[in-house]
Amino acid sequence: MKPEFFTLLRSPAIWLVLAFAATMPLWLPPYYLGIGVLTLIYIAMALSWNIVGGLGGQISLAHSLFLGVGAVFTSALLLKFGINMWVGMLISAALAAIMGVGIAWVDFRFKLGHLSFALITLAFAEIGELVVLGWDFLGGASGLYLPSDKGDLLAFQFGGAKGYFWLALVIAAGCFLVNFAIINSPLGYYLRAIRDNENAAQAVGVALLRNKAIAMAISAALTAIIGTAYARYVAFVDPYLFASPAVVIEVVLIATIGGLGTPFGPMVAALLLVPFGELIRGNFGGVAPGLHYLVYGVLIVVVILSMPRGLVPRIMDVMARRRAS
Amino acid sequence: MPVEHSQPILSVKGVSKRFGGLMAVSEVGFDVAKGEILAIIGPNGAGKTTLFGLISGFIRPDMGSVRLKGHEIVGMAPHKIVRMGLTRSFQIVQVFADMTVLEAVTAAALVRKPMREAVRKAEEVLERIGLSAIRNESPASLSLQDKKMLEVAKCVATDPELILLDEVMAGLTLAEAELPLAIIRDLRDSGITFVMVEHVMPIVMKTADRLLVLNFGQKIADAPPAEILSNQAVRDAYFGEEMPHA
Ligand SMILES: Nc1ncnc2c1ncn2[C@@H]1O[C@H](COP(=O)(O)OP(=O)(O)O)[C@@H](O)[C@H]1O
Ligand SMILES: [Mg+2]
Repeated sequence: MKPEFFTLLRSPAIWLVLAFAATMPLWLPPYYLGIGVLTLIYIAMALSWNIVGGLGGQISLAHSLFLGVGAVFTSALLLKFGINMWVGMLISAALAAIMGVGIAWVDFRFKLGHLSFALITLAFAEIGELVVLGWDFLGGASGLYLPSDKGDLLAFQFGGAKGYFWLALVIAAGCFLVNFAIINSPLGYYLRAIRDNENAAQAVGVALLRNKAIAMAISAALTAIIGTAYARYVAFVDPYLFASPAVVIEVVLIATIGGLGTPFGPMVAALLLVPFGELIRGNFGGVAPGLHYLVYGVLIVVVILSMPRGLVPRIMDVMARRRAS
Repeated sequence: MPVEHSQPILSVKGVSKRFGGLMAVSEVGFDVAKGEILAIIGPNGAGKTTLFGLISGFIRPDMGSVRLKGHEIVGMAPHKIVRMGLTRSFQIVQVFADMTVLEAVTAAALVRKPMREAVRKAEEVLERIGLSAIRNESPASLSLQDKKMLEVAKCVATDPELILLDEVMAGLTLAEAELPLAIIRDLRDSGITFVMVEHVMPIVMKTADRLLVLNFGQKIADAPPAEILSNQAVRDAYFGEEMPHA
């Protein structure tokens, strides 16, 4: 681990931001608190996706499988077998990690290019959605209803929005930390080398399959954990939300607008776009449903055309140039 | 010349590779002794780069054997071969575009060292290769020559026993090649064996202990530089009528 990692842990700014965020449930009105929970969940999703998509440069759309495993499978285990959701979450995280390794293997075995990788992971995601819709054990098309939340922590119940805000904050901070730890460790160097040039990476001793599989496993396990938390928060496991690639496509758009590679891009973009999208939906949802998707669409076009590396890298460039001049 | 008469560090036997109807490399065999600088020459398309691919694990030979320090390495993944001590540069330089020079060399050093030591090792290597001043630049912004020296630096950072260099001095005048040549000789003196593909004959003549000549995928000569010059087959295939100024 490079010293930069510990420098970050010791920096007061990080702890101040976290401490401030942790006070938000105490003073935010409920409507905004709900938006806050959703924002944190998206930050977490964007950060865990960034491990594969940003650091590894592989546009994976299969993450809806991992989100689905965490949400749907964990809930099914509880409802059908009475398995505690904490335990179910760990089982799902492990299962998602194994699926992630499988996808990395397919990628390696068939030497998929970027486009084929995106398309094949999308196909996996679609298959996953069909499996959930068609299998009663997983709730089928009507979904699964979780028992009412009595705030019993041992049963993975966090009470109301306050509790879920803190839970989502812990998960998002964890995802950020994992990103930062990877960037400052050999895995981060390997992933960036592979992303930049697979041949050159191998020529300096970097193992392709092993490192892609590790990245996938970490990213998948985190996404599954987020899935469980998100499902428990909304209490209704809607297959069209948790098993459909739509959410992941949204996450990919957000992360790309923010700028891939560093954890800051996906985080900042989610922090700006999710509340913005929710406010649009809240105010115009009746007259113009889907307007926030249109906004994302326009933004992604603007960002890709005007700042191909994304919003945050662009801002950092501009600041660096200011400082230099 | 510190050539040992023990086991060769690299032993290539009957290696062939066909691309469709083209025999890119045809039953090529040779040994490399520890501490030697072997140069491979031959006209464009002779199969030199393909031969490097076959040795370094990037291309699987149709036939033949490649032994590194006595171990068969055909079929091994390139990164495992690097771990065994053989690394290569690419004729078409392959940069890590989103990393700084230091980060790229650190990635290479990580093959044998934990994180912090790898950074230190990378700094040492950059110092030695003369790239310290540009350690924080993006490889994409470097001159072609610096890019090629960065290729060498990445190779060296993996702590190899044998480096395959594919035309790192192409396009340089003899004067411009002095510095890279001095670096290569210095690295050889510290125990690294080199196999290098080079086109510029005066450089080859000055540097190599031995020359291997490829033509149409076949080995047509394998001898010390002075003998190669007087070899009729080589003259016909490679130099035409004109003799190089050695
Ligand atoms: N991947 C490939 N597929 C098909 N033909 C190839 C491939 N790589 C090289 N060749 C052909 O093999 C021959 C040898 O190429 P190469 O090894 O690059 O020669 P050199 O490095 O000596 O110039 C050339 O005719 C080249 O066109
Ligand atoms: Mg070549």
